[in-house]
Amino acid sequence: MHEFSVTRSLVELCEQEASRNNMKTVRRINLKVGKFTGFSPDSINFYFEHLKADTRCHSACLVFEEIPIKIACRDCHGQHVIEEPTLLCPKCGSDKIELVSGREFFVASIEGE
Amino acid sequence: MKKINVLKPVLVSNQQRARENRKVFDKMNSLVINIIGSPGAGKTSFIKNIVTNLKTKYKILVIEGDIKGQIDSKTISRLGVDVIQINTVTECHLDAFMTAQALGRIKKKYDLVLVENVGNLVCPAEFEIGEDYKLAILSTPEGDDKPLKYPLLFHLARVIVINKCDLLPYVDFGVGDAIRNIRKENPGATIFEVAAKTGAGFDKVCKHLEKEIHARKKKNTR
Repeated sequence: MHEFSVTRSLVELCEQEASRNNMKTVRRINLKVGKFTGFSPDSINFYFEHLKADTRCHSACLVFEEIPIKIACRDCHGQHVIEEPTLLCPKCGSDKIELVSGREFFVASIEGE
Repeated sequence: MKKINVLKPVLVSNQQRARENRKVFDKMNSLVINIIGSPGAGKTSFIKNIVTNLKTKYKILVIEGDIKGQIDSKTISRLGVDVIQINTVTECHLDAFMTAQALGRIKKKYDLVLVENVGNLVCPAEFEIGEDYKLAILSTPEGDDKPLKYPLLFHLARVIVINKCDLLPYVDFGVGDAIRNIRKENPGATIFEVAAKTGAGFDKVCKHLEKEIHARKKKNTR
């Protein structure tokens, strides 16, 4: 349900960026979404179809690129991509780990004319 | 067709607003805790215990976030502390802008600001409001597997409270399993076991909060 306000922020951000760069019509919005966020692309698409009307994004589509969850282990100094956000080193089992990626959610670029 | 690199977080405006809220709380020297848990986990009862134990020593403000109604703010104001109710109407979480509206109504300085978020284990985790940290409440009837099913909140929360421990003889909940599951998401979390109904375990929580209130003040006077 929080995708509604997230999508509203997304449209506002793209609208501002397009206006600042004299882009009248946005055709494509490239998004990067970390796997360790609670955002559902389906929900964002659903709200986007309604929220994009009467904006520079009215004929834009959303393209999602997933960023994997990557952790760095302070004990064995390895970096690992993990499928589930269980924050234990898959190699040595240590819990002294740092999240390297997976929490991102940003607009990488917009395309249009 | 041209391409413009943006490289900005989608929630950039919320993050900026949260930082501005943070500055206001810093000026007040307040410890601000964003309390998150399922509907019925005992967030309001948890706050009632904290308020009852600490209200004579510290100035406390409670900010209540609910989709609708004044039920929680009425409950808290009966304890004799200031309370601000935010109704989110259609939103399933508090964000930095709603919190900023509440901040505009603050007239005094407080040592401790407890923000009760909308009952939800998913959405509130994504939105910063300008808090010092997030506190997650997990109640025993919900099951000890919830940290694995809702990992983001349990990963982000600095303090995690297991509530309704008085119900342990009647529910299928292993405290050891719950703690192991929490540690998988968040090895450094501070964990407390309490029963808000009886008040058990709150001496430790309050001692911890008092330490943090003092540390917060020291940090700001440096």
